[in-house]
Amino acid sequence: MNLFLQGGEVATEDRPPFRSDVWIVDGVIKAVEVMDVPEGAEVIDCSGQVILPGMFDAHVHFREPGQEQKETIFDGTEAAINGGVTGVVMMPNTSPAIDSPVMVQRVLDLGEKCRIPVLTSACITVGRRGREMAPLAGLKKAGVLMLTDDGDAVPDAALLKRSMEYASEFDMFFASHCEDPQLAGPRALNEGAVSYRLGIQGTPALAEEICMDRDIRIAHATQTHLHIQHVSTALGMETIRWWKERGARLTAEVAPHHLMFRDEDIGDYDTHYKMNPPLRTAEDNAALLQGLKEGVFDLIATDHAPHTEFEKSQAFVDAPNGLTGLDTALVSLFDRFVVSGEFGWDLIVKRYSAEPRRLMRVEVAEVSVGKSADLVVFDPQKETTFTKEFMKSKSSNTPFLNKTLRGSVEMVVLGREVLFQR
Amino acid sequence: MARKDFLDVGSLDREEIIRLLDQAVPFKELFTRSVKKVPALKGKTVLMLFYEPSTRTLSSFEVAAKRLSADVTVFDVPHSSVTKGESVRDTIDTLQAMRADYIVVRHRLSGQPAAIARQTGASVINAGDGAHAHPTQALLDAFTLREVYPQMEGKKVLITGDILHSRVARSTSMILEKLGVEVAFCGPGSLVPQTSYRRFTNYDEAMKWGPDVLYLLRVQKERMDADFFPNDREYHNVYGVTERRLEEIKDRGIYIMHPGPINRGVELCDAVLDYDRCLISQQVENGIAARMSVLYNLKPQIS
Repeated sequence: MNLFLQGGEVATEDRPPFRSDVWIVDGVIKAVEVMDVPEGAEVIDCSGQVILPGMFDAHVHFREPGQEQKETIFDGTEAAINGGVTGVVMMPNTSPAIDSPVMVQRVLDLGEKCRIPVLTSACITVGRRGREMAPLAGLKKAGVLMLTDDGDAVPDAALLKRSMEYASEFDMFFASHCEDPQLAGPRALNEGAVSYRLGIQGTPALAEEICMDRDIRIAHATQTHLHIQHVSTALGMETIRWWKERGARLTAEVAPHHLMFRDEDIGDYDTHYKMNPPLRTAEDNAALLQGLKEGVFDLIATDHAPHTEFEKSQAFVDAPNGLTGLDTALVSLFDRFVVSGEFGWDLIVKRYSAEPRRLMRVEVAEVSVGKSADLVVFDPQKETTFTKEFMKSKSSNTPFLNKTLRGSVEMVVLGREVLFQR
Repeated sequence: MARKDFLDVGSLDREEIIRLLDQAVPFKELFTRSVKKVPALKGKTVLMLFYEPSTRTLSSFEVAAKRLSADVTVFDVPHSSVTKGESVRDTIDTLQAMRADYIVVRHRLSGQPAAIARQTGASVINAGDGAHAHPTQALLDAFTLREVYPQMEGKKVLITGDILHSRVARSTSMILEKLGVEVAFCGPGSLVPQTSYRRFTNYDEAMKWGPDVLYLLRVQKERMDADFFPNDREYHNVYGVTERRLEEIKDRGIYIMHPGPINRGVELCDAVLDYDRCLISQQVENGIAARMSVLYNLKPQIS
């Protein structure tokens, strides 16, 4: 392998993209500078294109084992590659749940057969049922860092506190899906004008905020690192800011869809806009974007949640929550925010590539000399139409289905392998 | 242009509503004749698909369809494959084979009739979905109000009760607003959400607003069980039309409406039913005419 990416702009997490060629030999980046074409190198014309480190998604649902009709681990990783993502962290709400060393081993073995690294989180409680603690030390030994009952909060505050105290010995961290189950109700959409109009009981913002308060306080009291998942409300963002300013061991993520969409987009019961936490309001969109720009959110994560066409064609209340995100995240972030100048490539690299890897304690991908090749070539001039055929996820439950957005992931290189080139 | 489906009030404009109301007038006149039928829908099939129990709305649609000379089939949901876990989508695929021209749907889930309408070329009429919409009720309410107030604009209607869970409140408030009527909501704070409509949680304050019509909603027992309010006795005393309050209503000549079925001793006392400005049975009769008008105006897209 002897690749020469000529004429592109290299993006990093701390400054605007700079003009440079990139030379890769045998999976290692040999040079990042403007230079002559090295002898024998295969030249890829990258003029007008951006070269980014591979993205990393710390929140994906791959449905295997148990619901392979929605997504398998392999198809999920292919969707990731298609969207310029070269590493993922699975959530443990498979069926059965990933709550034991054996289950961890099983999904990691399946992950080994994929073309990008697959990490997994594991449950805090057995079966995600919120009643008894999972074997946390065993999970750590099997390779787990992140503990979460994602999909639900741990309903019993005392159990959560004891789990955090117990886990302190094993150097893991907790991730919270924040939701008070009684306040949340049937979990279909945000409580407000839209839920009234559609005649469906809404989930108020405070269902999320109250649980977030609770979990942060327990983590703070037990000196545990807590990661808040998919924050959807303005006050939730402010809560995280407040605690971070007080030095809490706290990280947080925001999902692209909570920045881009709002409950009004549901229109006439469009289930592609049904997810949990639900889409909130324009004010929440603005506050979350502000929080992302100001560093309140450490990372962007998609909460990639595939469901079959049949499931999503049911009545709004019956249709499951979630949307796919891996195929679309990078292009949609570019289309919605970079094109408009809302933020630059540096933010995307920091929040969707570098920081999630730091959270998971894996080597940060960088387009720099001596690093293993882990990069994406992105064409800002081209467009992408997200047809069912284009997307590699087994499911196509996304509001971007059949929509055309600006930007295109043209090529992904990982180590010695060119994962694809359009 | 004729529409295929009749799913909610939101998609109707004022002209269309008035056309439907005007159309209902001759249908109602028909009821006083010895032969109450017209041949408008002769040879057409109307399928009743009621996933929620209903006698009033179901019968009203059935009578309406038959007075238009349609063939009516009532799909027996409680004894069907639905109870074996068949999805609505699959049921509709099966029923397609019957080639119904019109499907009248009631379902506990908001949005289900809309989902069915997307799946079939038959005209789908929403006969009530969850807390979302009950557009034919709205139409009959508007028709009833127009009979007592031919010039409705500027009149005030106070809708009282469980607004939060009521599809009637949603649809009727919307149709009245489109016809220029002022609408306000009144009821316990736990059952009246913040909306664009004027909101009262105190009966006396609401009456000071000066309503021309008091529209009472049925108070459902399951809301009491879920602690939205303590008990029916307290509801009656705080928000119901008590005998004492009925006197004031009579003095002021306020009309009373109710979508039925009523709960005596909860939202109203027995004496309300003998009040000459109580429009409840008029609403029932108008329901048939309004539904005939809807059926008559829809255009199925059956190939």
